[in-house]
Amino acid sequence: MKLEGEQFLNADPMTVWAALFDREVLAAAIPGCESLDQISDTEFAAVVKLKVGPVSARFKGDVVLSDIVPGQSCILSGKGAGGIAGFAKGAAQVTLTPEGTGVRLRYDADVAVGGKLASLGSRLIKSTAQKLTGAFFTNLSEILAAPEAVGPA
Amino acid sequence: MTLHIGQPQRRENARRHLAGRGRFVSDLALPRMLHAVFVRSPMAKGRILGIDIEAASLCPGVVRIFTAADLNPRCQPWVGTLDHFAGMQSPPMNILAEESVLWTGHPVAMILARSRAEAEDAADRVLVDIEDAEPVTGGVPVLQPGAARANDAADSNLCYEALLQTPDVDRAFAGAAHVVEAGFTFGRHTAVTLEPRAVVADYDPSSGALTVHQGTQTPYQFQDVYARHFGLPEGKVRVIAPDVGGSFGMKLHVYNEEMGAVAASLILGRPVRYVADRLESFVSDIHARDHDVYGRMAVAADGTILAMEIDDLTRIGAVSAYPRTSAAEGNQVIRLMGAPYRMADYRGKLSVAFQNKVQTSQYRAVGHPIACAVTEALVERAAEATGCDSFEIRARNLIADDAYPHVSATGYQFEKLSHQACLARLRGMMDPGALRAEQAALRARGIYRGFGIASFVEITNPGATFYGVGGARISAQDGAVVRMLPSGDIHCAISVTEQGQGTETIIAQVVADQLGVVPERVSVTTGDTATTPSGGATWACRGAGIGGETALRAGRQLRDRILTLAGALVQTDPATLRLAGGAVVDAATGAPRIALEEIGRIATYRPDTLPDGIDHSLTVAHHFAPGGYPFDFTNGIQGSLVEVDVETGLVTLLKHWVVEDCGRIINPLLVDEQIRGGVVQGLGPAFFEECQYDADGQLTNGSLADYLVPMAVEMPDIKIAHIETPTQDTILGAKGVGEAGTAAAGAAAMNAVNDALRPFGACLTQTPMTPLRILDALDAARQERTAP
Repeated sequence: MKLEGEQFLNADPMTVWAALFDREVLAAAIPGCESLDQISDTEFAAVVKLKVGPVSARFKGDVVLSDIVPGQSCILSGKGAGGIAGFAKGAAQVTLTPEGTGVRLRYDADVAVGGKLASLGSRLIKSTAQKLTGAFFTNLSEILAAPEAVGPA
Repeated sequence: MTLHIGQPQRRENARRHLAGRGRFVSDLALPRMLHAVFVRSPMAKGRILGIDIEAASLCPGVVRIFTAADLNPRCQPWVGTLDHFAGMQSPPMNILAEESVLWTGHPVAMILARSRAEAEDAADRVLVDIEDAEPVTGGVPVLQPGAARANDAADSNLCYEALLQTPDVDRAFAGAAHVVEAGFTFGRHTAVTLEPRAVVADYDPSSGALTVHQGTQTPYQFQDVYARHFGLPEGKVRVIAPDVGGSFGMKLHVYNEEMGAVAASLILGRPVRYVADRLESFVSDIHARDHDVYGRMAVAADGTILAMEIDDLTRIGAVSAYPRTSAAEGNQVIRLMGAPYRMADYRGKLSVAFQNKVQTSQYRAVGHPIACAVTEALVERAAEATGCDSFEIRARNLIADDAYPHVSATGYQFEKLSHQACLARLRGMMDPGALRAEQAALRARGIYRGFGIASFVEITNPGATFYGVGGARISAQDGAVVRMLPSGDIHCAISVTEQGQGTETIIAQVVADQLGVVPERVSVTTGDTATTPSGGATWACRGAGIGGETALRAGRQLRDRILTLAGALVQTDPATLRLAGGAVVDAATGAPRIALEEIGRIATYRPDTLPDGIDHSLTVAHHFAPGGYPFDFTNGIQGSLVEVDVETGLVTLLKHWVVEDCGRIINPLLVDEQIRGGVVQGLGPAFFEECQYDADGQLTNGSLADYLVPMAVEMPDIKIAHIETPTQDTILGAKGVGEAGTAAAGAAAMNAVNDALRPFGACLTQTPMTPLRILDALDAARQERTAP
């Protein structure tokens, strides 16, 4: 399943870039995030609670950042296991392009889900994923707009 | 003699169900019973790296969590092959996945808790780490050498292949005036029983006895399976199948979950209940069909069908089902092709391929709908090529009603069928001339109606050559114990079983007629291995034909016993007596001589008053195995009238006709209901039902919101007529009827849809015929017409 979209963020590219690698910002921005541990500079372990149609589950997963071009682009890949609810895995190419006073963030993702999620929620997965992605960026915008949110880099 | 055989007796147990007094395994609660939930693989293929059950084991109510290491050793693995399918392979299967997961839904761990809810909560906490691998989900390329394997324990993806041919088939094609051909695809679907699979396994360590309450159609088969695979004496294993909420062939296969419930009960010494929820049913009940068939038909200039050539590729699961295999459907597909026709030559090739999906196996009308749809679609093309109409080409090619016995090009032996009589009757019912006129008039108004017909042959009353010859411990015989109670009432315990089709009612009718009583005085017990004799039970349309004959013969033995006793009591030659009206009567005059209850009273309470040496036992046991022909084939023909909305692709099923010959009809009401139910289960997969998978092997419509079943509002009025050609193999003369409706309903409907779309040159060759596929076919035809 392909997901793509873009979002204008009213902050300079390096601030946005730093936020994307900031454990606390991510933990606050990811919808349903229950915990987020930084394993290394480029690896996170997350527990996220999600609901897709009739299926709700707590996903445990890893997120890895790779192909990093600082300030410009990276690939975010991850997989999560949701117990009997199934699993989700995917990768997203994220690019930042300066635009006016801020930056345009674009993502192209390829996501696969399996198990109960796929069997019961296939009609709802795309819309849910788009809703969750939208919520993530709304949260991110709000955090970036509040000056105290982003600590010293 | 046949006062009640042939009467539309109402189904005795329907009143009980209507009153909410059904007794299903799903409702059963035993003291100290545990509830099982399975953690299943979310991936179609992969390697298990680890299973973390720690958090789950701390959840409230959890009694035990099993993984393969501690559950599987209790059970001998099962292998789904049969000896007479030469060269067939299938890796062994056990209860829980050991190293590899093989389909989405493959059980990985089993949780036992005080309640289903607590077990589900705990299942949510089990973390299974699976390294996923590319699953095999496709078609032909998977059989090419070097293709990635669905199951690494098999040496290739080829489970089984077969070739069937007559020596002159190539010559027939070479000399044909016309050769018509097409490729067909038949989607996967599943049984969707009202009551899902249900089992309560109850092992009593103090006695060593295992009692399994199971919603199955074949209790004796499971008694044997549990004894052998768990190393128990057969006499210590009892299987009870009470009311069963639908079965359709789906509940006679061995499943991981039922085996798991038995294993867990053996280990824990407590009753273990497992009842599938709807999603679990979709990812663990067998699926049916999933065939790609390429077919050709050679036709002479006058419309005579000379030969057929078939290549059937069927994709099963990652293992073949046990104990009947997943190859039997394909085997029947290639053998039923062209069966109603005189056609002399044939070549049929079958390839059965493994893939990472739920296993397929026998479901109502095994192989019949596929063979029928392909044959009948090719017959329509042959009609078009030779300028015949649908009735004419069949009249020319169907085996003549006086040309029996007949052996088909695929080797089936037909004792006596009535294709031509059925065709003539259908023509009278449908009035094709009027339908054509109506079609033309409506087309002028932009309304597209079409009708199609489909002849069929159905396999019923299989003898021991069906499975027994292949080494499977599946009985082709049945047994009955018939006894007269002291009151003169009759009881029959019989091995054919009841899943709502009315088996118990017809058995009572048959027994009643042998003993001169009304069916209300005959009570029938089925479905318990401890109280009924061993037999084949219910599969392959054998309940009426084999079970009925068993009951008849047992009843006659008891009749003879009663008459002998009566002869002694009234001091008359028993040959001058018969049974009627609940009494022994004079055979010539019908004058009552002695009532049954008087005989029962004397035999039971005053045997001392009987002459010395006379046998006063009023219980007889009899087993009957079909002899004569290997199968009692039935035949018939169906017609379908549809209207296709060419803007939306929606099909309205306007009317359906069936003419059917199941031999002696024991109960016309129940026969018609079997046919109607069968037609609906044939139309379902023709238009609605399909288990849809994505390329990763994920089932994407595992609920009744997304998987469409036929509903009453969509079903047409179904008109039924009968021709009766009793088999001479038995006294009763009955053949099976349970699968006839399903066999040809889809074929007739596909011909009808294509007749409706004829003005557009569009043609459907894939089921289900969804609106999208119909619009695609219209689109493809439009593009072909406008192409330069």
